[in-house]
Amino acid sequence: MKTLLAEDDFASRKFMSGYLSQFGDCDVTVDGEEAVGAFMMALEDGEPYDLVCLDVMMPVLDGYQVLKAIRDIEKEKKVSKEKRVKIVMTTALNEERNVKKAFELECEAYTGKPIDVDRFEQMLKKLKLI
Amino acid sequence: MDNAISEKEKNMAEEFNVDGMLDMFLYESSQLLENLESIILEKQDAECFDDNDINEIFRIMHTIKGSSGIMMYENITKVTHKLEDVFYYLRESQPDNVPHMELVEHVLAVSDFVNGELEKIREGSSPDGKEDKILKDLDSFLKRLKGEIKEQGIRLPRENKHEEPSQFYIAPMASDESHFYRIIIHYRNDTQMSNIRAYSATYALKDVAEDLLYSPEDIISNEESADVILAEGFYMLLQTKAGKEEILQLISSTEAETTDIDDITAEEFGRGLVEVAQGSSDDKPIVIDLGEEKTEEGKKKDEPVVPGDYVVKSKETGKGKTLAKNQPKKQTIISVNVEKMDSLMDMIGELVIAQAVVLQNPDLKVPGLDLTNFQKAAGQLSKITTDLQEVIMSLRMMPLTNVFQKMRRIVFDVSRKLGKDIELEVIGENTEVDKNIIEHVSDPLMHLVRNSVDHGIEENAEDRIALGKPAKGKITLEAKNEGGKVYISVKDDGKGLNKQKLYDKASSNGLIGDKDITEFEDSEIFRFITLPGFSTKEQVTEYSGRGVGMDVVVKDIQAIGGRLDIASKEGNGSEMTLVIPLTLAIINGIVVQVGGSAFVIETASVKEFIRLGEDSVVQEPDGEEYIVIRGDCYPFVRLSDKYHIDNAIDKIDEGIVVVVEHEGKQICILIDKLLQEQEIVVKPIPSYIKKVQGLSGCTQLGDGSIALILDVAGLVESEERR
Repeated sequence: MKTLLAEDDFASRKFMSGYLSQFGDCDVTVDGEEAVGAFMMALEDGEPYDLVCLDVMMPVLDGYQVLKAIRDIEKEKKVSKEKRVKIVMTTALNEERNVKKAFELECEAYTGKPIDVDRFEQMLKKLKLI
Repeated sequence: MDNAISEKEKNMAEEFNVDGMLDMFLYESSQLLENLESIILEKQDAECFDDNDINEIFRIMHTIKGSSGIMMYENITKVTHKLEDVFYYLRESQPDNVPHMELVEHVLAVSDFVNGELEKIREGSSPDGKEDKILKDLDSFLKRLKGEIKEQGIRLPRENKHEEPSQFYIAPMASDESHFYRIIIHYRNDTQMSNIRAYSATYALKDVAEDLLYSPEDIISNEESADVILAEGFYMLLQTKAGKEEILQLISSTEAETTDIDDITAEEFGRGLVEVAQGSSDDKPIVIDLGEEKTEEGKKKDEPVVPGDYVVKSKETGKGKTLAKNQPKKQTIISVNVEKMDSLMDMIGELVIAQAVVLQNPDLKVPGLDLTNFQKAAGQLSKITTDLQEVIMSLRMMPLTNVFQKMRRIVFDVSRKLGKDIELEVIGENTEVDKNIIEHVSDPLMHLVRNSVDHGIEENAEDRIALGKPAKGKITLEAKNEGGKVYISVKDDGKGLNKQKLYDKASSNGLIGDKDITEFEDSEIFRFITLPGFSTKEQVTEYSGRGVGMDVVVKDIQAIGGRLDIASKEGNGSEMTLVIPLTLAIINGIVVQVGGSAFVIETASVKEFIRLGEDSVVQEPDGEEYIVIRGDCYPFVRLSDKYHIDNAIDKIDEGIVVVVEHEGKQICILIDKLLQEQEIVVKPIPSYIKKVQGLSGCTQLGDGSIALILDVAGLVESEERR
């Protein structure tokens, strides 16, 4: 599993990248713009990511914007729904309306922080990533 | 744990401060289950569910299945999915001869299971209930159902298509509860620069503190604070996840003579240092800004939003918001967090008091002022505040429907378990009561209903028929609203109470001394069952009869200012009536003066005011005093003695005697004079004052002074016990 992690908070970044590395390569970006760039690059190189973890509150582009950008890029490149990258939002904003907004933008999962790693793993299994 | 949350996200989360996804899930699911139970219990005696019910149950299961799938609570998803399947076949094929009772039991089993799991989630543990048995039962039921459908020659519909959820939500990890502590450090008298030592203590706590208040506040900038600290000690209030030991280690200092750490409640913490420090310092406490807006966060945390705790409950609320199926629907009802309602209520209470302070201001009593326009404006203001009060009261009113719903379930469960055939009639379930009271009514009512089913109704239908009663027992649950009180009665047509038996039992338990049975009124004898440790039932059953029930009922009811009336006729049945006030927040009270203090007596409990001569007082050799009025003898309470009030009138012919009554018992209280009658906004006595016997609350009067509200029930009872 190849993962892209976009997270501006150092402590969260350190924890998440450490956690995700056990499942395979994990690239890390510190803002939203860089995340979109990294996603494009991997797609063009023919080695797309399997999973993208997006923090919601990030500098330059926030998580929702990145999510939308990625989905738009995929639509433009005609990536089929099944082959789309799985996107997980990670954030402390876990009110219903934020969650619904993210779901409408077609993310696969929304996890509240602090992250419950057991359930996170369960979710990865359900998404057939591991 | 490096799994931290960035600060600005926290702030953003604060800004939105709406209900979390998890709360929403819990709230909606419980609402749906409540609807489900009400359908089931309404139709328990019917032959089968009608189309509407089947659709509704199908929809409820479908919704819970969908949202629990997103939340990844798999056992809930599986169980609701299976039941949805059952109702899918019922809906599509509409078979006849469905074993209705069995179906009811299956639905209730699922509802109980999901409720149990929701409860676990609510408490922060993982929903780990085993769903296998329920699934197996449902499977075999479904199989028989399908067989039946085929036999009736109806074509089986296509398999119920089940879509796996494609989006998931993971709730954040439940974090440890925060603790609240009060820390007092006394430094040795010769300590140099104790203010700096105090500062280093606060600094040491910085890493573990979620919120920290201290007094005196100016420990760094003001050197004189060192003297204050030496003289009075250094006070801190700390909110943290750390334990006492850890804190003690962090702040331990060789100069400290004593370091006390006490647990306090979040509420006490919220009140700050002035009260907790018990007036030891005139300094106002300050809030240390811990770099970020963490303190704000901490405060909010003190009052966790309880999911499902909403004032306005409606059968429709769940619908518009469901996750799996969005049915756009116009909403005319919104849910409001109870805390917001409470704070609005509080503020209106304050407004009423502030208004009294303005309108009765001593400055207005200057002779020669023309107040015509002022009085006009004041009249208008009073009208608005009265309206405002009425509106907020009505907002807090909730129908008893939910409580009665629970009772239906209890009658259903207990009667089946005991093999009794009982019909429950419910009258007036739309009667509205203040929300706070509803919470307190549920448990006592449950006891009464259980008692009626268990002890009230006869064991055998034959016994009933022999007495000329219908074989089916009947329990009537009735609520009505009368004269500012709510009456909730539980009536059964069973055995009734046996006076002789009650008397024998009470006297053999030594509860009533050696009085003869003829000396008691009927109602007094019935009242024996409310005495602690009294139970005539030889055999203790699973549901009642441990003799702890009725006294608890009475205690609970008295705690909210209500009472329990018992009426019974042997052979015909009993009726237990809870009489409770509509609201606890505002009462009609009479303000009286004793010495320099003002007291409030609830108007409804006053029998009469009377002036008496010295000769009406009878003093017993042990100092006990009684008052004789028109030949009857009443216990006599001098508030001045009881609460050590100076300068109060102690000659009975100079003061006024108030006769107050509670549950038919009367006592006399001596006061100096009557001040006025008015609406009293009841405030609880702050928790740093130990519970004072005979007082139920306090209030602020128009002139800004404090009056204590007398707890008539408590006073009467304490006199009785003597």
